[in-house]
Order: sequence, then structure tokens, then C-alpha cells
Amino acid sequence: MAFRTYLMVCAGTGCVANQSMKIKDKLEAEIKKQGLQNEVAVVTTGCNGFCAVGPLMVVQPDGIFYQLLKESDIPYLVEEHLLKGRPVKELLYTPPKEKTPVPKMSDIPFFADQTLIVLRNRGLINPENIDEAISRGAYEALAKVLTSMTPDQVIQEIKASGLRGRGGGGFPTGIKWETCKHAPGDVRYVLCNADEGDPGAFMDRSTIESDPHAVLEGMCIGAYAIGSQQGFIYIRNEYPIALERLKIAIKQAREYGLLGQNIFDKGFDFDVRVVRGAGAFVCGESTALMASIEGKPGEPRAKYVHTVEKGLWDKPSCLNNVETWANVPQIITRGAKWFSSIGTGDVSGDAWGGSKGTKVFSLSGKVNNTGLIEVPMGITLRKIIFDIGGGIKDGKKFKAVQTGGPSGGFIPESLIDLPVDYEELTKVGSMMGSGGMVVTDEDNCMVDMAKYFLAFTQAESCGKCIPCREGTKRMLDLLEKITNGEGTEEDLVLLEELSNMVVESSLCALGGSAPNPVLTTLKYFREEYEAHVKEKRCPAHSCRKLITYSIDPHICLEKGHGCDVCRKNCPDGAITGATKQVHAIDVIKCGRCGICHDVCKFDAIFVE
Amino acid sequence: MVTVNIDGTRIEVIEDTTILKAAEKAGIWIPTMCHCEYFEPYGVCRLCSVEVVRGRRSRIVTACNYPVRAGLTINTNSDRVKWIRKVIMELMLSRWPNVKVVKDMADKLGIEKPRFVSLERDEATDACILCGMCVNMCSDVVHANVLGFANTGIQREVVLAFHERSDQCIVCGACVSVCPTGHIKMVVEDYKGKKPEFTLGPKSAISVPSLQAVPRVPVIDTNSCIHFKTGGCEICSSVCEPNAINYDMKDEVVELDVGQILVATGYDIFDASVMAQYGYGALDNVYSSLEFEMMLNSTGPTGGKVLMKNGKEPRSVAILHCIGSRDTNHHPYCSRVCCMYALKFAHLVHDRTDAAIYQFYIDMRAFGKGYEEFYTRLLDEGITMIRGKAAEVVEGTWSDSHERSLMVRCEDTLIGRFREIPVDMVILCNAIESRKDSDIVKRLFSLSKSPDGFFLERHPKLDPTSTTTDGVYIAGCAQGPKDIPDTVAQASSAAARMLSLISKGEVEIDPIRAMVQDEYCSGCRICNNLCPYSAIEFLEDKKISHVNEALCKGCGTCVAACPSSAMTGQGFTDKQILAEIEGLMV
Amino acid sequence: MSFEPKIIGFLCNWCSYTGADLAGVSRIKSAPNVRIVRTMCSGRVDPAFILKAFQLGADGVVVMGCHLGDCHYQEGNYKTIRRIPFLKRLVKDFGIDPRRLRLEWVSASEGDRFAEVVNEMTEEIRQLGPLKLYVHNERKNGQPAKAEVH
Repeated sequence: MAFRTYLMVCAGTGCVANQSMKIKDKLEAEIKKQGLQNEVAVVTTGCNGFCAVGPLMVVQPDGIFYQLLKESDIPYLVEEHLLKGRPVKELLYTPPKEKTPVPKMSDIPFFADQTLIVLRNRGLINPENIDEAISRGAYEALAKVLTSMTPDQVIQEIKASGLRGRGGGGFPTGIKWETCKHAPGDVRYVLCNADEGDPGAFMDRSTIESDPHAVLEGMCIGAYAIGSQQGFIYIRNEYPIALERLKIAIKQAREYGLLGQNIFDKGFDFDVRVVRGAGAFVCGESTALMASIEGKPGEPRAKYVHTVEKGLWDKPSCLNNVETWANVPQIITRGAKWFSSIGTGDVSGDAWGGSKGTKVFSLSGKVNNTGLIEVPMGITLRKIIFDIGGGIKDGKKFKAVQTGGPSGGFIPESLIDLPVDYEELTKVGSMMGSGGMVVTDEDNCMVDMAKYFLAFTQAESCGKCIPCREGTKRMLDLLEKITNGEGTEEDLVLLEELSNMVVESSLCALGGSAPNPVLTTLKYFREEYEAHVKEKRCPAHSCRKLITYSIDPHICLEKGHGCDVCRKNCPDGAITGATKQVHAIDVIKCGRCGICHDVCKFDAIFVE
Repeated sequence: MVTVNIDGTRIEVIEDTTILKAAEKAGIWIPTMCHCEYFEPYGVCRLCSVEVVRGRRSRIVTACNYPVRAGLTINTNSDRVKWIRKVIMELMLSRWPNVKVVKDMADKLGIEKPRFVSLERDEATDACILCGMCVNMCSDVVHANVLGFANTGIQREVVLAFHERSDQCIVCGACVSVCPTGHIKMVVEDYKGKKPEFTLGPKSAISVPSLQAVPRVPVIDTNSCIHFKTGGCEICSSVCEPNAINYDMKDEVVELDVGQILVATGYDIFDASVMAQYGYGALDNVYSSLEFEMMLNSTGPTGGKVLMKNGKEPRSVAILHCIGSRDTNHHPYCSRVCCMYALKFAHLVHDRTDAAIYQFYIDMRAFGKGYEEFYTRLLDEGITMIRGKAAEVVEGTWSDSHERSLMVRCEDTLIGRFREIPVDMVILCNAIESRKDSDIVKRLFSLSKSPDGFFLERHPKLDPTSTTTDGVYIAGCAQGPKDIPDTVAQASSAAARMLSLISKGEVEIDPIRAMVQDEYCSGCRICNNLCPYSAIEFLEDKKISHVNEALCKGCGTCVAACPSSAMTGQGFTDKQILAEIEGLMV
Repeated sequence: MSFEPKIIGFLCNWCSYTGADLAGVSRIKSAPNVRIVRTMCSGRVDPAFILKAFQLGADGVVVMGCHLGDCHYQEGNYKTIRRIPFLKRLVKDFGIDPRRLRLEWVSASEGDRFAEVVNEMTEEIRQLGPLKLYVHNERKNGQPAKAEVH
């Protein structure tokens, strides 16, 4: 049944959290009220990507983008747009610094500069309906592979495309498949890593939530190529929506004969099992992930014998990230040539020679347009942050961007024109990682940021090997000491030495990369560390022990007339004064929480 | 074989051996703190970090699990490696400053004081250093999977699952033995009401049963061997160079065709715990004679020293005769050997300790050659002989020192007084009794037992070694309590009997046989199936039954069954028996 | 003078006879009324012997053998245990109280049991009184009739 108009309501986790399901119910009720139920359909889609302005909705086929919807807006919106055909201006997106709203989604800079491969179906299909996915070309690549290609041809195609692992390491996928295929053994496994543990990263979750069939199809093709019959998807239990959609997708694919015995009648058997992880960050590491699937504690082991030879249950296992798998069907359908035309470098001779295709990033932090973006490899950081991201919030000054999750490094403003690809990021001390991108501004203390991320990796260390367990803890202690203003110059030396040792000698990549935030901030923002150590001062006014709050008596009395709001809100009782009098802060009692600073409407409170 | 270069030394090793093993072969020491050859390398201490150069790339790897490949250059002592080891040791030293293995390793690597301050500092000398050896031992070797790690990061600790005692633990002690710091301890629990097992002293699951064993080879005790409990371990087979260990070896039943059998199945000792008055099994330091014999043995649990349970020498020892023998409640007979071994015990205790020795006896039966002389010598040695069977053994505090000890109560019949004698140790002279499984042996060989439960000889005077079953002989305590000279004499006699039969080459059989009177036999064949020895065959040509005289034992079952009275038993013919009956009726 | 029953005992050579021997050796007092016929096995005891014994004026018959499973000839006493109960029914038809016929297991070590069985049976038969049978060949002059046997 065809409809005149489709309302694509985003049902990604961010929008659902912002009550998008209530919006959907309200929309349906309102449409019925207006008698439009045979003309307008409401569709819940996977993550649209522009999470900053959720809950959001796209009206198709016009492509009108509505943002920040509230239940109370719905009756008016339905009446105006759907009945009278007039887009509601108040609910359209207006770029910062501009006045006129941009009605069409494709015109919004956030979307305009993206290239969608993995997320091509986002916001366009209902992920819980396989027919919609098929109508957008899902399983076409699988059909092509099974009917017209040999496993070796598939591997050649993937190799030629230059696809590299999107999970962080950037290992050439084709080579991985080939090694796995030729590893001795009769049973092989394909595994999908959907254990996205990085805080603030949700690429994999959104990919599964918006297009689970792309992942399944990719795994199917991979299994055909390497000769496997069983796949596992290791997914965090904290992703209930993704988990649910994945299960629905698998069920539907099985019903359609796209998983299971004798797929496409070509004698190829393959099935997928979903394994839920308990949420340990280290379980994203391949060997720990496999241990976890096996039912053992999720701890990594030495990988001197690679997992493609001895992985899950000591069988050759091909583990790829969600995003990598989702790329595969598109490469098969549209060809390696098309794929390798996107991105940097040349992979025809050396698989490590360039970064091809697109990469999904989750853009967060002090940037206007937070959300999920898919950009071609080689795009500059400037373009991501200032064009797609819409610049820094509140017009503050950009300081650094951290890429690659909690164990990625910070890239300073001086390197803002760095093209984003595997090699360039590694060269400056960071990494592609799974694609987290945290933007910091002038208010962020880099020592504190490093401490923040290290605290995460330290807490998530499995504790198996000494450098990671003991080393990261001692690093954290040193950072704590520095941010408390108790650090010495020897501590800085020791911190750097310890960081390097942890990188060199840790058992797995978690320990091997955990010191990255520390090392990069030490490299690019050493003067901030030195300010903490030598001058006992935090340049960004962020480290509590090193700042003091004070009230400008003139502003307080003249502008605010002693409004007394700060005194009422101070949890420590450190502010003295009364209405219509000058207020003052007792620095000894002050807990440096900053509440007074936030509540003062007259900017009378200063931080030093 | 591949050639690798370790610290400038070229060495040939099998491909895929670990760097650690290759270095060992080259005589190069690499520090390790979590490595044990019994399980897969764990690779967590990272102290064995070495630098591997391959082409132009150089990287740090752990020697314990990195497999060598051809053309590898390995630096085990470069500045980079030394630096990593130093920082790791500093981290360990800052957390566990008093653990001996950590201190020793730090000394070895030349690290004096760590630059770090650890907030998790553990001052214990036996702190757990999280090397994981116990966990690996338990899971990889023992396969019991009792120990594991809990928590992550700095909070990591070795625990039993859910911090609860596990039934899965087979108490093998592998974790205790592998723990480098002594953090894991074996706790001996008091099994109340349970008698400790009577064992041959401390031994591991694999040992030579006794020093006198023939052949003198070790055997595996399948009841305590880890492999037989969980299927794991197999350490012994990995260290046995001639590959002599075979776990599949089973007890097997061997069938031999023999003509004669000597039954010398021995005896059991009387279980004194049924006589509660002597406190055996309930009180410490009350021993049975065999247990004490074990203690006296120089290969025994105490190495031949006479010691109490607390490890001290006893100040006085009581030896109680006739426990279970000469007792109408248990065994009315005299066990014959106790008096003499009791004297031997007294002599050895006197020899090895300064203890006062008391013998509680009914009568001294020193009847053999030289025995009486031994008795007299013992009296001269100063042991105290008390004529009177001990009534009971009790425990209590008998002196001002409040030390608990034992006391023997008895009636001294020579002075006609009731006496209480405090002692530190009591040795019971348990009766010799027939074996608990003697009924099975009896059936097997169609033997008879005398009322005391021992096997019955054919004639107590004229034929004391043979039995009512032809070709089956008895000797030793299976026939009745006796000491070693008597046993040897009886066994020699039995052996001579058997040999005489062998040398003769033919067997005389009793003339008592069944016989078919051919003219009466109707050929009904009733007797054929009755014969337990299959001695009756049917002659097809004559259509009559026939007795094979060599097989027939003369039981007469067929005679009684023959409807035509064609079968007669020689010596027991119907005629003879009827005449006998007639005669009896006079 | 009180009635002294005459009892014929068929004793197996290996168990019961030895047991009787043991009773003697052990000086265990037992009634002298049982007159013993030794057979190699209780299975040798032909029912005809028992009937003959009754015919000749025995007041009771006791058959003693090894305990089941202990037979020197493996299974001779199993034959006996089939025959004697059958015979008990038969003697009843002859007018003989079946209590006069007994089957007992006495092993070589059971001298006391032998004495016990003998004493008990003697006492029982004493209670039953003499066996009165019409016998074709009356006793003549105190001489027993000549047994006619093959």
C-alpha cells in the first residue's frame, strides 16, 4: 500500500531516550484524527545521526527535516504540514550564526558533507522489516557472490577495495580473510565485534539499529569467502534496541532462507548466533572477546599466534567490526574500484598503502552538531569539526580533538588540517580506533582530560598483566597528584617514562594504547602540565584544587544588587553576605564546585 | 630446526619453541615470575620481555610465549629490555615490598628502591602477587577449575568462585605447591568422629609402596592422583624420560592353569575401636600394634622415632596385651604372637626413648626357642610387668602441669590392688583374626572353617597343611594364629607336599568312585546332567552311561538318583549303606 | 524306663561328619540317640535309605549336609534340598509324621550346632513317641526283618 507521505521518526537510542516513541504515538493519533491514515504513514527508523537535535523526524519524499520535537507540537505540525502542505518553520533546523531555517535535510551542512555507505539506509527504512531492507538492495551482494563468484574472487575483490578493519587496528580485511581461509583446520568461525565499549561512541550500535541486515549480509559473504558455517555476533547487553533489532533481523533472514541451510539453493550453509557481552571494555579486544564467547573470563591472551589461525576454541576465526562487515555488501555490489576511489593513498600494491572508503565517527564534546557522521577517508579534521560539526559551542576557542576512543590521543589545533586516515592519525600519536571523536575547547584542562580517559581505561583494565594493572594505576596516581597541585618535575619525567613502558610491554592493545591520551597531551600541551607542576596553576581553570573563586564586589552590588542567589546555592556555606549587600567567598570553606559561578546571572564570580 | 641469534650467540632450536626455552639452551637467564613449565605460558609478569629484531623492525615481546622463527635476532639484555624490567620491578616492589620472591628478583635485577608510591601497598610477607600460577595450575593442570580471578584492574584478586568453598576442590594442593609467596595454605580440618586413615606414612600420589617392594618401582595411587580425579595434570609423564608412565594400565585378571594351590591369605587385625574402653580411634596416642610397628619402621612416618601426636617423645608407654583375644566377648583363642612382639616393642621403646614402660598381661606366653630368655632380659632392662588385663584407658589432666595425658586402669592381680597408671602413649596388642573375606575364599576352594573362623586343615595332627579339597593346601595365619617361624615351617611343609606330587608325576586318588553296572543301565541319562564334574558320559554305541573314574569325586549324587540302581558308589554301595542301617537298628 | 528314640543320621563326609567329630573333640554333650551313617555327600542319600530306615524301625531320620553353597561337590546339597521335602510328603502318606524326617545344614565348624540339632530332634521324637508302622515282616524275636535289597 502506497502512501502519499512517510514520516520517518528516528528511533535511535538518543531519540528514544528523548521520547521519540511518544512522538510517534502522538503522530499516529493525530493523523487518524485528521483522517489521513490512508495517506500518511509513520515509520520508525534507525539512528538518523543528528543526535544533537533529537527527537527528530524526516518527512519523505520531500526530505523536510524537523528537529527538537515535543508532543505538544504535533497537532499543529500535522495540521500545517500534512493537511495544508506548509512546513512548520519553527521546527526546522537553523544553522548556528544563521537566521533562515534550512527545510531540506540534504541542504543541512551536517548531512551535506557526509558520504553514506555503511549508514546509507539510516532514516530510510524500518530496520525491523526485512522487506524494506531488500527493497533498498540488501542481500543483492550475497546473491551475486553465491551465484557468480568463487570464494577466492570474493577475497580478491575485498583486497582490491582496500577495505581495512574499522575496529581500530586498520588491518587489511582481505588479507585477514585470506589468511583465515588458508589456516589449517576444518571448522572456521566468522565473528562480528559489536562490543562497542568506548564511552561516547555509538557507531556500531547505530549501524545495527538502522540497518542490521547489512551486517548479516556482510558476515554471510565473509563466511562464504573463508569457508565458515557459523558466525557469532558479540554484542553488549547494554544495547537493548540493537540487540532486539538484530534478533528480529536474524529471525527474518532465516525465514527468508538468507541464513541457515542451503542459502540461495547453492549448498552454502551459514548461521549466526548472538552472544551478549557483560559490558567489559576489554572484551572488545579480539582474544578477550573470544574468551568471553567461550564462556571464560574476558581476558586477553598473547597473540603471537594470530586469531585467524587459532581463535575461537582454537579454530581459525575471522573477527571484524560491525562497520567493516557492513561495508562488505556495498563493495561487492558496487565494485572494488568504486570503493577504492574514495579515500587516500594507493592500495593496489600494498594493502597498507592507503585508507579507502568512509569512516563513521561519533562526534561529541564541545561541538555544536553532535551526532553520528560518515565521512570519506582523508577528510580533514577542520571539515569535520567546523563544517559538519558546526564549530565549537558558545563560540569558544577550539583546543584539541581526541580520536579513537578513550585510548586515543589528543590532536592539537596546529594539526587541524590533518587528513583523517589510519597512518596520519597514528603518526601524530593518536589512532583511528573505533571512531570516537571528542572535541575540547579552551575550558578543558588537558591534564584533567588525560586523567579522565586514563581513569576509564584504568578501571576497565582486566588486571591480567602487571604493566596495565599496576602501571595505569600509578599513572593515574601521578596525574591525580599533578592536578592536585602536588606534582613535581620528577613526577612528569616518571609519568612519561611509565607511560612509555606501559605502551611497550602490555599484554594487549588496551594497555598498549591506554597511555595515549597522556603521551599526546604531554607532547602537545606540555606547558599545561608544567603550569600545574611549577606554578601550581591550571590554565583552563578546571582543576579544582588549583583554582579559586572570587566575587567582584562592584559587579555584585552594582549590577546584581546583592541578589543573594550564590549564597543560597552554595553547598559549603562558604559565601557570606545578604540581600542588597556585597557577597564574598571564604576560600577555606569553598569546595570549588563552581555552582555559584553557574548561577550568577551577572557574571560577578571569577575563577583564577 | 632453525637458527636464531640470542645476545650474539647463534643457536639451533626447533621452530616454534619459545624464546625462553631457546635462551635456556643457550645458557642465558631471563627473569620470570609467572612462568611454570606445567601449564601454557601465561605471560602476565612481563619480566621476560625481550627485544626481537626482525629485519629493520624491533619490538618488545615476552620470551615465555613468543615462538622463535628462522633468522630471529633476540636481545635479552638491551637497555630497552633492562629499562622495562626495572620499571616493572619498581611497580611490584612498591606494591609488595616484603614478599621474598619480589625482593629477591629486585636484588637480582639490581633495583633498590622503587620510585613509585603504591596506595595498595601490601606489607604482608606472603601477599598474593597475582602471578596466576595457582589459577592456571588449578584449571590447566588439575582441571578442577576451583580458583579464579575476581574483579578487574587494580582490584583483581584470586578467589574461589563466589568466595565460597567449593566441592569441586579435590584438595590436591597443587595451588599451594606452586604459590611463590606462600599465600595459599593447606588447612587440615578436624574430621570429628572420623578415624584417620591408616596409611603408610606421608606419601605423594606416586611412590614406591615400601622400600622392600619387589620390583622396586613407583606406582600411582589412583585414589589420590589428580589425573584419575579430573583427567588433568600428567606432569609425571611429561617429566619421565623413558616414557614409562601409563595411565591406562588396569588391574587385570590373569587366568593360570595350575594343579595345586597353596592358600596363604593371612589374617586381619582385630578392630580395637569396638572396645570403646580402650579409646582406640577416639583418643590421641592410642595405637594398634601394626600402627606402632609402622612408627618403629625407619621408613615410616616418623622415621623410626617414637613420637606422640604433638611431636614429643612419650615419658611413659603402656602396652596392653590380649585386646580381642582370650576374650569370650570377641575371640576366645590366644593370638600367640602378641606376648613376644609386645616384648619387642618394649625393648625398642626402651632402646629409643627414656620412657617408662608398662606391660599389662594376663599370662606371659614365652613358649618358643629363646623366647623365655628374651623375656628375662627385658625384665632386667627394667620394664614394669603388671599382671592384670587393663580395664580402660581414659584421658585427663593428671599432673600439676595441667597437661592432658592418658591413664590406664587395671587390677594388678599380683598385689591384688586396683591401679591407675598415667601414661603418654598406649599400644594395643590386637588379636589376630581370620580375614573378613575368608568366606569367599572358602567357597572358592571348597574349604571348611573351624569355629574360630580360620581355615580347617584336613587333620590337626596327621595332615596339618592339606585341606579337604585335593590339591589345595593352607599355611600361615590363614590356618590359625602363628608367628613367623611357625608360618615358615608350615609353608615349607605345604610346599614339600606339593613338590612331592609334582615330582611323582601322578596323583593318587581316593578309591571312592561311582560305577555303572552296565547290565542294569537303561540309558535314561538322568545321571549325566546331575554330575557336577561332568564325569558321566553317555556311550552312544552301547546306549548306556559310563563314569570317567579320573574325573569322578565319588559324591554319590548320581547313585542316589539312578532309577534302576545301576549306579553304585564304591565303598558306599546301596548294599553297604543298607547293611549299615540294618546294623544300626540292632 | 522312658522311651529312647532310635534316630538314623545320614551325615555328609565333609561338613556334618566333621562337625560331629568336632562336637566329640570339643566334648560337647549330645544325645546318644542318633546313629550315624556316613555318606560322601548328602546328595548320596537315596530316599530308599530313609524309607528303609523307617521300615526297619527308626523313630526318626535326620539328613545333615553342608550349608548351601558350601558343598564339597559344588551342588550335591541342592539335590538333597529337592528330595527331602518331597519325601516328607511321601512319608506322610505312609502314616509317618513328617517331623520324624529332618534335613539340617551343619558345617565342619559347627560342632555345637550338631549337638543342638541332635538334642532337639531327640527331644521332639521323644514327645512324638515310638513310630508304629504296620510292617509286613514283623520283628521276630527281636530280630529285625531282613532287608530286601537288590
